[in-house]
Amino acid sequence: MDNLKRRHKSAADELYTSHEAEDHEKLYKQAAPHQLHRTQYQPITYSTNKFIAYAQKNYSFVIPTALTLLAFYTRFRLIGISNFVVWDEAHFGKFGSHYLKNEFYFDVHPPLGKMLVGLSGALAGYNGDFEFTSGATYPEGMHYGFMRVFNALFGALIVPLAYLTARECHMSIKASILAATMVLFDTALLCISRFILLDSMLLFFTCLTFYCLMKFHNERQYPFTEDWWLWLTLTGVSLGCVSSVKWVGLFSVALVGLYTIEDLWEKLGDLTMPKMTYLKHWVSRGVCLIALPICVYILSFAIHFAILYRSGPGDAQMSSLFQANLEGSSLGQNPLELVYGSRLTIKNFGYAGGLLHSHSQTYPEGSKQQQITCYHHKDDNNHWVIKAPRTGDGTTIEEINDEEARFVKDGDVVRLMHLKTGRNLHSHPVAAPVSNSQWEVSGYGDEEVGDLQDNWKIEVVDDLVHRDTETGHIRSLTTLFRIRHVSQNCLLTADNTVLPQWGYKQIEVYCDKRNNDDNPHSWWNIEEHFNEMLPPAPKNAYKTKFFKDFWHLNVAMWTSNNALVPDPDKDDILSSEPLDWPLALVGLRMCGWEDDRIKYYLIGNPIVWWSSFLSVIAFGALTAFYLIRMQRSIYDLSKAQWQQFFFMGKTIALGWALHYIPFFIMGRVTYLHHYFPALYFSIFMMPYLLDQYTLQLRTETRAIIFGSVFALIVLVFVYFSPFVYGMTGPAQQFAGRKWLDSWNMV
Amino acid sequence: MADSSLRQRRQPLDTKENAQQPAFSRNDIKKITQLQKQHELNEKNGHTILFLAITALSTFVSFFKIWYPAEVVFDEVHFGKFLGYYLRRTYFFDVHPPLGKLLLAAVGYLIGYDGHYEFNDIGESYEANHVPYVALRTFPAALNVLSVSLVYSIMKQSGYAKSICFLTAALVCFDNALVAQNRLIMLDSVMIFFILITVYSYIRFRKLRYQEFSTSWWLWLFATGAGLGCTLSIKMVGLFVVTAIGISVLVDLWALLDIQRGLTMNHFTRHFYARAVALIVVPAMIYLTCFYIHFAILIESGPGDSFMSSQFKDTLKNSATRMKALDIHYYDNITLSHRDTDVYLHSHSLVYPLRYEDGRISSNGKQVVGIEEPDINSWWQVLPATENEKADDDWASRTIRHDDVIRLKHIGTDWILLTHDVASPILSTNEEFTTVAPGERFNETLFKVVLEDPNNMNTWQTGMTAFKLFHMDTKVALWTHEQHLPEWGLGLQDVNGNKNLNERSNFWVAQEIQGKNATEINLSVKQTVKTMPFLRKYLELQGRIFSHNAGLTKPHPYQSAPISWPVMLRGISYWSKDETREQIYMTGNVVGWYLGLASVAIYSGVFLADLISRHRGIEPIDGPVRQRFVNNGGFFFMLYLLHYLPFFVMGRVLFLHHYLPAAVCSYMLLGAVLQFMFVDGITSPISNLQRNASAKIHRHTSVLDPMTAAPDRTSKIMLAIVLSCQVAMFLFLAPMTYGSPSMTVDQVLQHKIFSGWDLQFAK
Repeated sequence: MDNLKRRHKSAADELYTSHEAEDHEKLYKQAAPHQLHRTQYQPITYSTNKFIAYAQKNYSFVIPTALTLLAFYTRFRLIGISNFVVWDEAHFGKFGSHYLKNEFYFDVHPPLGKMLVGLSGALAGYNGDFEFTSGATYPEGMHYGFMRVFNALFGALIVPLAYLTARECHMSIKASILAATMVLFDTALLCISRFILLDSMLLFFTCLTFYCLMKFHNERQYPFTEDWWLWLTLTGVSLGCVSSVKWVGLFSVALVGLYTIEDLWEKLGDLTMPKMTYLKHWVSRGVCLIALPICVYILSFAIHFAILYRSGPGDAQMSSLFQANLEGSSLGQNPLELVYGSRLTIKNFGYAGGLLHSHSQTYPEGSKQQQITCYHHKDDNNHWVIKAPRTGDGTTIEEINDEEARFVKDGDVVRLMHLKTGRNLHSHPVAAPVSNSQWEVSGYGDEEVGDLQDNWKIEVVDDLVHRDTETGHIRSLTTLFRIRHVSQNCLLTADNTVLPQWGYKQIEVYCDKRNNDDNPHSWWNIEEHFNEMLPPAPKNAYKTKFFKDFWHLNVAMWTSNNALVPDPDKDDILSSEPLDWPLALVGLRMCGWEDDRIKYYLIGNPIVWWSSFLSVIAFGALTAFYLIRMQRSIYDLSKAQWQQFFFMGKTIALGWALHYIPFFIMGRVTYLHHYFPALYFSIFMMPYLLDQYTLQLRTETRAIIFGSVFALIVLVFVYFSPFVYGMTGPAQQFAGRKWLDSWNMV
Repeated sequence: MADSSLRQRRQPLDTKENAQQPAFSRNDIKKITQLQKQHELNEKNGHTILFLAITALSTFVSFFKIWYPAEVVFDEVHFGKFLGYYLRRTYFFDVHPPLGKLLLAAVGYLIGYDGHYEFNDIGESYEANHVPYVALRTFPAALNVLSVSLVYSIMKQSGYAKSICFLTAALVCFDNALVAQNRLIMLDSVMIFFILITVYSYIRFRKLRYQEFSTSWWLWLFATGAGLGCTLSIKMVGLFVVTAIGISVLVDLWALLDIQRGLTMNHFTRHFYARAVALIVVPAMIYLTCFYIHFAILIESGPGDSFMSSQFKDTLKNSATRMKALDIHYYDNITLSHRDTDVYLHSHSLVYPLRYEDGRISSNGKQVVGIEEPDINSWWQVLPATENEKADDDWASRTIRHDDVIRLKHIGTDWILLTHDVASPILSTNEEFTTVAPGERFNETLFKVVLEDPNNMNTWQTGMTAFKLFHMDTKVALWTHEQHLPEWGLGLQDVNGNKNLNERSNFWVAQEIQGKNATEINLSVKQTVKTMPFLRKYLELQGRIFSHNAGLTKPHPYQSAPISWPVMLRGISYWSKDETREQIYMTGNVVGWYLGLASVAIYSGVFLADLISRHRGIEPIDGPVRQRFVNNGGFFFMLYLLHYLPFFVMGRVLFLHHYLPAAVCSYMLLGAVLQFMFVDGITSPISNLQRNASAKIHRHTSVLDPMTAAPDRTSKIMLAIVLSCQVAMFLFLAPMTYGSPSMTVDQVLQHKIFSGWDLQFAK
């Protein structure tokens, strides 16, 4: 490969400095021992113009700088023109605000990206008071432009990164610039970077991972040197970062993982390597690529918890004790011990458990009685009153004397009444709606109407703080108990199974007849407890453990993520199918489409998208072609050439496939921007193949080919640039740009 | 593995001095040939005896009390119903391709069953309904016996020791899940049989690889293709075996392509086309033929109509919807029902409350709602889009076509249907529907009739043609959804204008025309049954099969997750009878399934260890043994994985019995692994050699090369232990497999091996 480059010299290749040449010689020797016929280096001639000469001498500095400046220009241009909340800024801007106000919130994504948004807000002097309602206008004096610039910075840096990565892939300077240009002038990558979203950070860290990996790959001949450690560590750190922005970062982890497995497998075959060295290779990867990313991920959560020390909208996702420790939470005001007649909310103790909830809607099947669910949002529908049980004839046991508080004890049989609707917590031998091997739990009857099926027994499991369980009283927050249905002998359970649309995607509650006493999903605790007769409890200083909270939050994120399934009854205009992505068959309207509004349309630069996808396909076809020919002993490429061709193409194609294929089997709703990391990988394929197959051509022909590709990309970008920089006036005037019928921009 | 012992074993046979001498004396050759023949005869006799023994055993196990229970068991509900439809030639819809059901129906036809019984519920008596169920069950049970025999033959053809062949077949024979499932009127037995036929044929084909393009080579190649086609035509799961064979063929072709193999490109191309024809074209033809027969038999309209397009329905005789179809003319009074929720468009003189609970304001106009039972207030008159209210003969003779604009007058109140830009009572994003007095707000009362399939049927008819009603003025579609109005709306269903015109739930169907009896009118007209090209019929049905299969996500009480199958955390209760406390509970044989799972683990472990050692330049396993282990064992391993892993990514409802093909594969893999573990060496070579003249000499010299598997006593004892464990467990679980005898509570609890087994009568 490298010798080929030298044989067919191009203008750009002549820029090699002597230092570079030495490096290449080293590589060259390792790459292809049987091809060591030396080529003469021609003396390098610099231009007579001193500026050009300067650029030629320092090209490794000048080119990335120029690309960065261009990226800044394209990204920052007109960034504040739309003074309203665009698309998902409504989410991520709001989450950023929560950091500024230190209020605990809940979201399905890990915190790093949103903390960076929060940081941008802090730098912009924003106090976190804006609501970020979708489509709302930003208030006077809020520097939303700065926040966007901060985000766009990440989006801009992927341009020089693309160039540097391509160089690390041993592409020629022309091809590397082409790769960077494709990233620079892709409308979709550009558009998504310009708003307060997580995608620019996600892309940046994905690109950084790829760059570090290639750097590390090029250090493979000098293991355990400083540089080798540096790039291995940086790969690990950026893996941690990308996974801490969104879970799709795990696809990058998969890429690095596969690369590492292959690498270690090859090293295993090296019989000359001492076993200790081999072990060292394993340990170094284990530490840098597994332990380190996990540390980064955990650290981001530690900072997350440290910043958000006040009570906020996300409280209910967490365990009751965690909430009690948040500043401003009302849970500290709870009376300590539970009495009959108390009003309370009941929290499931399992990871990501919700509050026992009911609402006037009924089950569409089964008993068709009132739904009982678990729900994380705090409202009045979570309030229950603890009452005396029913006797055999359906009446309640003697009324309790209001003057004297009677404590609820371990083993008491009680009745739980839903305060808002007056229905009693009830179970009967009817199959539960989703987990239909268990019994359904419903809300039934009222104060008068009811039967023995309304009776539940409280069984104390443990108390987190007060170890003296002799009294058997139930304490709010800390006592864990099971709620057992008396006549059916089954346990009230909610194990994060999500109900369909009719249950508003809340969590199913059923009565578990397996009676597994140790299942934390059938353990409950009192979260809020109201009773005017009782004094508030003394402050308790019980701290929750960080790792418990960390795990709890991650399970909650996983559960909510799984609930994001497409609703079959609704055609979501924004979502799209993975099949539509690679050929840019769909676009996405990022804001309202009124005539007087500045409109943004998220759509890829068709030239970039089509050529990238086709070149990935072409790589597959070429590989098959070469393999078949090689099986017939026809060698188009030398062994070293083939290995280089296959390694690079494979890595790029794998990066693309790993970031794309999983979306086909994901149950959740998918959107166009999920394709962007995959796009980034595929972008390298076109310059790479172009580079490979134009090497034999004359310098001028090569220049023409590359030049026309450059021109095409830039022209198409300019043509579509209104989509990115904002369309003013009616969308109809851009109807001419509707290249495909499936684009819904008009 | 103790490779040193293997080598030793080979030494007595491996007479190197002889091998180096190029020529043998005539006597020696004769002697050797004689010895070899004697040996082959012994082997053959031994195999025949064992084969017959296992077949007899399996016959007994499969047919034991096959007449019991004389009641409908589990999925017999479905397949019994379907076979009845075939016999009555009534069109039905099912997610599986037709071959399995066709074969069941063929059995029914041969024994003279007329298909009168509906198989409504599990537990209904066959005797009371006069169903020849024993004969029907004979077919799957017979195929189960043949499957066991096939497993024996597959192992034999793969060159495993006699004891291994017998053991493997016996393990399959004594598997409770296979016995319970395969003696009932269901498809799994048929499918497993065809999977095994395919595997058997392919192994026979591979063994003939040195005799390319010979008659038997072609025969087994086409047999493989036929097996693939049949498997695929029973259930879509057949795709797994197609993939397995496909991968093997690709590996095979790749080796043939190797230049060192010495084949010319033309020669290779012949190989390629032979396989393409036999393994792609033949299965595809068989698959299509099954559908052709399916359509040829099912000519009467039936319960499957509703799944198909109206054009398809036209090809069926006595179609109920066809009988209800009448052209709608202007000034006809019709009822309209919503296709998805089955409510009728209805109006009455009650009005929307001026102000809703949440403070929004309505038009205070008359309510338009959906009602489940049509009544006097559900009649609407179709008016032309003219301001003239009076009936006009010119219009009255006209039918309504696609894209025609109409108005609808409510007969009960004489007011005209209208919608406008006022938020509907429940969904504030949608428009409110109401009625206005005639003559008012003409422009807002115009609606366009948009038919679902205008290319096929351009006239608006009752019964068949679904349509959408688009509002001309505000571009919304008449729509309703399953939400009921509060008390002011009598709890009737909310009707509103949907801004998303393309939603599938926008379709309505005109049900009746007042004063016209559709059936009478249609009976008097001569019925013409239309035809439709087979391929179009097929493509339509295939599309519905795919979409319906993907839509089978409604939870079932006995569904289970793939991860729980091999460890059998939960079975399926197939049948139970309260009076006698008997039950059929489908679970695998705990011994066999866990051993199968262990064999998967052992195989992976050994394979990986071998791979790593070879990567490090050590070859721990003897050549021929390794070859068999990798090639043949690997084939079984792949079959197992391909029949199991895909279920993990399937969205539909899954059941334990989906694991049965994989379980059979795991038994075969278990056989291979047991041979590897307990039997020294492997019988090799087992493939037929080249038949040309130069090869003849080879045959004699190579006699000295082969090795023979030699199970010794310890290994036989080990195998016997495995078998007796399997049989003991089979007998222990037998009461739940055969549905008799009844068990006491204690016994039931005793049989509850895993806590997840929800047996009946456990208390």
